[in-house]
Order: sequence, then structure tokens, then C-alpha cells
Amino acid sequence: MNEITRQQSNRQPRVQGGEDSRGERDRALQPPVDIYEEGNALHLVADLPGVTPESLSIEVDNNMLSLEGEIRLEMPEGMTAIYAEVRAQRFARRFTLSHEIDGDAIEARIDKGVLHLRLPKKPSHQRRRIEVRAA
Amino acid sequence: MFGDLRRFDTGSPWSVDWFREWLDEVFPEPGATDIRAVPRGTFPMINIGRTDDAVRVYVFAAGLAAGDLELSLQDNVLTVQGERKVATDETEGDARRPYFRRERAGGSFTRSIALPEGLDADRAEARWRNGVFEITLPKREELKPRRIEIQSA
Repeated sequence: MNEITRQQSNRQPRVQGGEDSRGERDRALQPPVDIYEEGNALHLVADLPGVTPESLSIEVDNNMLSLEGEIRLEMPEGMTAIYAEVRAQRFARRFTLSHEIDGDAIEARIDKGVLHLRLPKKPSHQRRRIEVRAA
Repeated sequence: MFGDLRRFDTGSPWSVDWFREWLDEVFPEPGATDIRAVPRGTFPMINIGRTDDAVRVYVFAAGLAAGDLELSLQDNVLTVQGERKVATDETEGDARRPYFRRERAGGSFTRSIALPEGLDADRAEARWRNGVFEITLPKREELKPRRIEIQSA
């Protein structure tokens, strides 16, 4: 039993170090998202189960919004997978933002594995009501 | 760790996967996401792992609180049941908000999954953290690996 376990743990680094390594580590799941507009802002809601506030990174660079979160699970040592639908260690997804989004004013919160992003529009692009005057 | 399982995938080369792999090769995924590129998986997704003395089930159910998921075990079939409310237009009353993407699954769901035999349902434990439910089902004593002593003749 010991010997088998040892062989398995030896195998893993080899796979990662081999030619597969890049693909293995880069594999990320695309989280499902809802995007809607409300109150002069765009809202993005993403399912990121297992992602903690610490393991989540949100970046805005040059109108590109990147979400990335590592799935943190408590797994006992020596566990073997017998069935898996989630076959990656992290979630990642990118979106291009339109110019009317104020990148500095984005707010984010994560609760129960659901990320909620509020992307406000720049004041100059907010919706204005146009009064109609009687002639 | 669950990524490891991929190595055991030996599906027939002429299945849909072959075609998808080929497509991925010819049309590598662009940096920004495409509206149709999202694989619509089942909700919730489930992973199962095994240790020497227990089987662990991970249910990835973002947005559910500890009390929102119902778990039951009959024979060796685990059933997870629950409902996830995804905010809809109705929650906002008359103010309809324009949606650009709706990919998150909502509504009630039931999933059943077969587990290895010989689990002790009475000692099962479930925990919940960050939208992941973790169910630990200990193996019965007789199924745990045992050391066999070798006696000299």
C-alpha cells in the first residue's frame, strides 16, 4: 500500500514537469455569468464555488477585465479522485469593457461562492432624462 | 488533484470529444470570451474522492447557503436536492432590467449519484464553505484496507 502511494505521488511532479505541464496548470474553468444593467452601472454575477476572497483576483487593464479565482478545497492527504466534473484548480474569464465603464470605480464582493461586480458608468455616460416640453 | 483524473480518460477517438479537440486546435480560444463559448454544465457539479477510510463528495453549488441543500443517501445512491434563486426580472417589480448574459442556472434541481458500496450512512458528515458542500462518508470497518501479517512458516 505504501509503495503504491509513493509511486502515485512520484508520478504527479513528472506529469507537471513534462511537456503536458503548461496545459495542466493553465487549465481553467469558465464560470457562468449573468450580466445586466441597472442603475447607471453594469452588474456581473459569476459562480465561483470554492473561491475565497483571498484566492480571487480581479484586474482591469486597458479595458480588459480579468477574473481569476483559485478553488480552495480541503482535501485530505492521499485522496484519489474517483469521479470529477470540476477538473481544474481555478476559474478564469476575461471580458472587454466598453469605454463608458469607469474602471476605477468597480466594486466587488463575493458571498457563498458568488461574485458580484458592479461596474459603474462614467458620469458623462450616465443616462439622462430628456424633458419633453409642450410646444 | 481532480485534474489528475483526465489521464484516465480513454474515450473512443471518434466521439464528439475528438471533434471538439480538433476544433479547439484549429480555433484556439481567443483572449476575450465569446458568447457561445461557454460550456453549459450541470448544476451543481460534483466531484468524488476516496481515501483509505472514507469517501468524500464535493458539491459545487455557488449561491446556496448551508440549509439550502438537502442530502439523502439510500443504499449507495446519494441524492442532492435544492433550489437556487437567481435574481430575475420579477424580483425588481416593474423595473425590468436589460440582460446581456444569462448563463447561471436557477430553479430547483435534483441530482443522484452512485457511490461505492459499503459506506456508513449513519456516520456521514456534511460541511459547507464558500459555496462548496463537502460530504464525508466513512467506510465500514470491513472495507478499510487491512494489513496482512506474514507469518514465517
